[in-house]
Amino acid sequence: MARLNDDAQWIILMGFLISFSFFFLALIINQSTVVGQTTAESVIEFPKNDIRDLVGVITTNTSRSNTTVVNSDITVISLHRKNAVVRYSLIQPNPPVDLHSYASIHYNNGVTTYYENWTSL
Amino acid sequence: MVNTDGQLYTIEGFAAGLIMIMTAYLVVSATSVYTAGDTHISDMQLEQLGSDALKIMATPASTGEISPLQKIIEVTPVGTDNATFGKMFGNLTNSKTGFGTDHIQFIASVSYRNKTDDSVSIYRLNSTRNLAGGEHAVRTTKWVIVNKKLPPSAPFAEDRAVLVEVLMWRD
Repeated sequence: MARLNDDAQWIILMGFLISFSFFFLALIINQSTVVGQTTAESVIEFPKNDIRDLVGVITTNTSRSNTTVVNSDITVISLHRKNAVVRYSLIQPNPPVDLHSYASIHYNNGVTTYYENWTSL
Repeated sequence: MVNTDGQLYTIEGFAAGLIMIMTAYLVVSATSVYTAGDTHISDMQLEQLGSDALKIMATPASTGEISPLQKIIEVTPVGTDNATFGKMFGNLTNSKTGFGTDHIQFIASVSYRNKTDDSVSIYRLNSTRNLAGGEHAVRTTKWVIVNKKLPPSAPFAEDRAVLVEVLMWRD
């Protein structure tokens, strides 16, 4: 039987190592494809613009004449068109004693719950 | 009798095969788009663009004035089209650096509450064209306080909160 040729085993070992390192690099690249997707999905899912818009419209209109009607408008339309439960109450300034307006705002769209106590400047 | 000749050649063959497969895999995946198109990144950007445009339109030029968006809703009778909205919103969203414009289409509508039965009515404010089947739109909204008869049969105009909804998509 011929003698087994065991030359160049070092080179073969290196070949194996490089092959396996390529394999793990490929795994990492594969994983990187979903990073942008999950980020964008979570950004879309979080109602950042909705909450900002809601808080903005409530706090910039505290001195309107018919806040009761506007309050019902926002509550009903939020539920029908935005699938969000919105409740808020306003406290008007009491001039000699307290010059601030206050708003207590509650928002819940089933995924995100948000609560804010707002005080005017 | 088991012949042990050529073991090294076999191992070498396996190593070479692995290297070739890995190389092919790397080359193919490197030339393809890493993040597939169906990943909502463009949706997120489009929604933000529309939200910003509506916010600009809902901002008055100076204290005491009413915003362009409020004016548009107040002067437009319920159920009729308003070209000013389309022109302004289109300019804000379709502007690009350099020549040419973007191809963003939209349908804008207004929702209001009927005081008698708390139902919500919706009417179209303006649109570039109808949404065709298969086109993927995102929705962006803006609350506006308007002084208007809502519904049109209401006895007097008063401050009301309405929701401007815009469906946007790129064709």
